[in-house]
Amino acid sequence: MSDSIIGAGPRRIDGRLKVSGAAPYAADHYPDNMAYGYGVFSTIASGRVTNIDLSEARRSPGVIDIFHHGHFPSLYHTPSSMMQGNKVEETRLPFEDDRVYYEGQFVALVVADSLENARAAAYKVKVSYDEEKAIANLDQGVKAHGTQKGKGNHSRGNPGASFESAAHSIDYTYATPVETHNPMEMHATVASWRGDRLHVYESSQGVLQEKGALAKIFGIAPNQIEVESPFIGSGFGSKLWMWPHAVTAAAASRETGRPVQVVVPRQQMFTTTGHRPETRQRLRLATDNQGRLVSVRHESINATSFTDQYVETCGSVTKSLYSCDNVLVSHETTRVNRGTPTSMRAPGAAPGLFALESAIDEMAIEAGIDPVEFRLNNYADRDESQDLPFSSNHIKDATRQAAEKFGWSKRTPEPGSMREGNEFVGYGMAACNWEAMRFPCDARVSLRADGTAYVTCATQDIGTGTYTIVAQAVSDVTGLPLERITVKLGDTSYPEGPLSGGSWTTATTLPAVAEASRKAIEQLKSHATSGQGAFSDVAAEDLSFENGQLSHNGRAMDYTEVLGAQRLASADGEAHTGGADTSKYSFRSFGAHFVEVRWDPGISNLRVSRVVSAIDVGRAINTLTARNQVEGAVVMGLGMAHFEATDYDHRNARPVNNNYAEYLVATHADQPEIDVILLDNPDYEFNEYGARGIGEIGITGMAAAVANAVYHATGKRIRELPISKDKLMEGIPEPQRA
Amino acid sequence: MSDHHKDDGSRVETFDARSPSRRRFLKSMGASGLAAATAPAWAQIAQASQSQAEPVEPRDDGAPGEGEQQIQLIVNGVEHTLNVKPNAVLLDVLRDRLELTGTKKGCDQGQCGACTLLVNDTAINSCLSLAVSHDGDEITTIEELSQGDELHPVQAAFWAHDAYQCGYCTSGQIMSAVAILNDDNIGSDDASVREAMSGNICRCGAYKNILAAVQDARGKMKGAS
Repeated sequence: MSDSIIGAGPRRIDGRLKVSGAAPYAADHYPDNMAYGYGVFSTIASGRVTNIDLSEARRSPGVIDIFHHGHFPSLYHTPSSMMQGNKVEETRLPFEDDRVYYEGQFVALVVADSLENARAAAYKVKVSYDEEKAIANLDQGVKAHGTQKGKGNHSRGNPGASFESAAHSIDYTYATPVETHNPMEMHATVASWRGDRLHVYESSQGVLQEKGALAKIFGIAPNQIEVESPFIGSGFGSKLWMWPHAVTAAAASRETGRPVQVVVPRQQMFTTTGHRPETRQRLRLATDNQGRLVSVRHESINATSFTDQYVETCGSVTKSLYSCDNVLVSHETTRVNRGTPTSMRAPGAAPGLFALESAIDEMAIEAGIDPVEFRLNNYADRDESQDLPFSSNHIKDATRQAAEKFGWSKRTPEPGSMREGNEFVGYGMAACNWEAMRFPCDARVSLRADGTAYVTCATQDIGTGTYTIVAQAVSDVTGLPLERITVKLGDTSYPEGPLSGGSWTTATTLPAVAEASRKAIEQLKSHATSGQGAFSDVAAEDLSFENGQLSHNGRAMDYTEVLGAQRLASADGEAHTGGADTSKYSFRSFGAHFVEVRWDPGISNLRVSRVVSAIDVGRAINTLTARNQVEGAVVMGLGMAHFEATDYDHRNARPVNNNYAEYLVATHADQPEIDVILLDNPDYEFNEYGARGIGEIGITGMAAAVANAVYHATGKRIRELPISKDKLMEGIPEPQRA
Repeated sequence: MSDHHKDDGSRVETFDARSPSRRRFLKSMGASGLAAATAPAWAQIAQASQSQAEPVEPRDDGAPGEGEQQIQLIVNGVEHTLNVKPNAVLLDVLRDRLELTGTKKGCDQGQCGACTLLVNDTAINSCLSLAVSHDGDEITTIEELSQGDELHPVQAAFWAHDAYQCGYCTSGQIMSAVAILNDDNIGSDDASVREAMSGNICRCGAYKNILAAVQDARGKMKGAS
């Protein structure tokens, strides 16, 4: 394997399209005669639709049809199985009945000849409701109907008894709010039927899952459906599975006989396309006299919807990050009147590590040990939850390198002890952790007679750089330069590739692409050594292929000439590679964040000023895009720590800040100085490239690192995200007024 | 819900909306005139080539339909005559009617910056602006920045610095960056650029690289002048 292209940092092969506005996203497609769907959304969170008055809307110009629960085709439920490839998160079909389970649920869809006409008519649809008392938040849910058991639970040893007899212990509860993915591109579908065949442009992280789900829902064969998603304005998990808008678009298209575009308005991006659910997490930790963990309990509850159970596995990391004989991890859910939650970047781990890594900080302080030292003493050397060795774990190295670069040794431990001018300076840190996963994958590579390679795989590039690293893998095997490699992704007609999620795309896709490249070379050699071939006197295995040249004993020929001489279009390779063998190793990625915050109590200003993150993900295929992934995840983690929360009116469960101005995310002005260290320890147990994946790990632990730094700056331990300024102002005396 | 479709009415009343004199006035005194005074040479070259082009494309179907108004938009140097509804938003007209899909809709509420483009060289959120209020205006979108295969220095810098991930906010970021780099009132230090760019959200969080790209392009645009 050549190291020149793998592990290098070439700019993206799709970069020109992105900087020139030419990359086609879902709603950029305008099939002939396309109509526009515009949703009408529930304005109550619980109850029934009693009447839909369409009299005014129907008279509105350009209206083609208006769908609602009394006028919608009868469709089928999907089994919603990820393994079967037909999963959705909200299993209820749109307009299935008159029930309203959450605010912002589709109650009607106006289809008209223009966006303006559809929107104008949608505003004229008058919906009457019989409103019922809504369950507005997790506390109300638990109080009203308790909890349901979740998944991913784990126990070992006797955490209860060891906690009671321990030298030091803590028992705190942490809370995280609803966070909303808010990808820049609103969810969008352009659906067209041609006879009994359905074509969909979707903003999707998983075109194959959408195809499978649509097939079940419309009762047709998967091969009657094609879903394309060549570019998506990111998803962060909200576009893993199809949401109701896609079903409404496809159904409306079939009913009206026209292609139909449905874009989910930004307000409903908070309601009907998933979110990270609200959590409550109780952490009970205990150590012996030396500060070794002797008991760890992480019990969490998350809010889910009335239609589906989504479990936020907050304790997924807690099982194995630290060495401890006595561990309990449990997950429960409670139902509230919100849309169904879904995976959001590092599901489970992001909120879970906020709680765990805040608690570890509190435990270290309780035991009187420096938080870095405490972690180095307690990190696990093997996965004790599965009793397996880690394939590769350099968390101690990551922690030490980041501490050194950050300047942790300059920290004085007492809260509020570091000050510069009017600002209190706080240093905090936390560990990062994320599972490494790899699934089966198919890919196809053609070495074409024009000297280019053409690569296809159904997986998506969601902004992480998949197009480019696939080209790097092909270049690595074939020696062709990147500019002669065309990569096509995000289309169900291509060989089956993975859902773009879980940080598994790189580890899953690249081995298939490399294998397909090798097979294409094999076929090329077979052509070259066949009866009509240029090397017909040579055995295929004796022929070598390097940098586009076939050669034997000093005789070399460009492969394009070999194909051209036989009038062959291409030499092709198709490959299928398997998933990870999880029986021998536990595959995980590791890292550490070190954060500096500055708090000016006089003007109530808190800001994250500096972040050093060391990340151990095996090998980074493209250092430019890999670094960008971590830097972006740090920014999102900063937002999670400091700003992000979807707030709901506790009286009626309606979201009150479901827009981009009031749901705060980090902006340019919030950007801290970020220094990312990419450790380079290829994990060859995982795949031939040694890459474990990098999309998610950067957000894990970030909120805790900020919380720990805030504690160090202010002496205030904030256990409920976000760490908004008002929480830090509590206890500050009112200024004297004249 | 419909607040963002309300017309502020502040600009249209000054001139007869369909008066050629308004267009001529804007062409001579508005956009290009002001730009020539302040913009670096590179930007002036782009302006010049635009005004040389300007073929008239008689689009649309003669008389406006019921409730429609006829407007002229000079988009990327091409004049378009369009019949639009009073509630048609500039962003939607560019995308749905002219199929200039490089400009993106991120929130439809003026909160995210994805739809940023230049109107008479001023960066605006096109999702907040009614098309009828732009009769005669010169509009520059991302599609106009590059000259054939040659990317604008800001585009080239975004590519080189990986100043995006998903790419959806990129058109808006680039258009804001172009406006900022041509605005002498905005400081050239990092903090000023961050502040000035803060109306453009990048949910992928590529801010570090975007800043690097803007500052890199600054040097290249100056070098061209």
